Amino acid sequence: MTCDHSVTYYLGMTDDDLVFRALADPTRRLLLDRLFERDGRTLTELESQLEMTRFGVMKHLRILEQAGLVVSRKAGRNRLHYLNPVPIRLIHDRWIDKYTEHRVSALAELKTQLEETG
Amino acid sequence: MTTITEIQTTQVYQVFIKATPEAIWEAITRPEFTVRYFHGARIELADGRRRTYGPNGETWGDEAILEEDPPRKLVHGWRSLYDPELAAEETSRVTWEIEQQDGGVSLLTVVHDQLEGAPKTASSVAGVGWMRVLSGLKTLLETGDALS
Repeated sequence: MTCDHSVTYYLGMTDDDLVFRALADPTRRLLLDRLFERDGRTLTELESQLEMTRFGVMKHLRILEQAGLVVSRKAGRNRLHYLNPVPIRLIHDRWIDKYTEHRVSALAELKTQLEETG
Repeated sequence: MTTITEIQTTQVYQVFIKATPEAIWEAITRPEFTVRYFHGARIELADGRRRTYGPNGETWGDEAILEEDPPRKLVHGWRSLYDPELAAEETSRVTWEIEQQDGGVSLLTVVHDQLEGAPKTASSVAGVGWMRVLSGLKTLLETGDALS
């Protein structure tokens, strides 16, 4: 765990595993919500909003970064954290669309059948 | 529910794609690829400009290329000409960075910044805008399919 991103990416977990693991924690969801409200924050800013040690916040941010949900970039002397919504979109495209599509088409089929027989 | 409380003047998007940097570069700079995932837009780089055309050949964007280092980095201006309200705003900046990773994977980072003078553009691209484009680009490169 020496690099900011991607080195720990291939520990046998898939992209989706990492995202679901990262989201399965209320503090990490809170951090994402804070970044959603205002993006590009320093660790100090994020830390001031949570009743948690700096180390604790860093640990959560690291898990979010491994999942690709947070991207940190240097800006002058600061390191700013940004919400990256793309992994959630990918899960949406891969899973949620699939199920809703099926449900919609099942309903469409039911409607056709009912209208034909009725 | 939380809402966006202020305009995000710098937006960062990142996606891992199982493709070479060269393949990603082609996919973001050649119209026959961009038309399949970039809201149907045909995008081409020529004469130091990045031009975007809609399905009927209308100009959706025509901005200067600020840096071009294939297949690693592309920086260009951004002004949405397809909507008069957005077109009236100041030009912002888009940076594409492509980094090769292990295992045939590349990391694509898109930074859309200098959005201070373009609040409507900022909220327009921040919604599903870039997410949809990058999700579509990944799908295209990894499966050869365009998103419906």
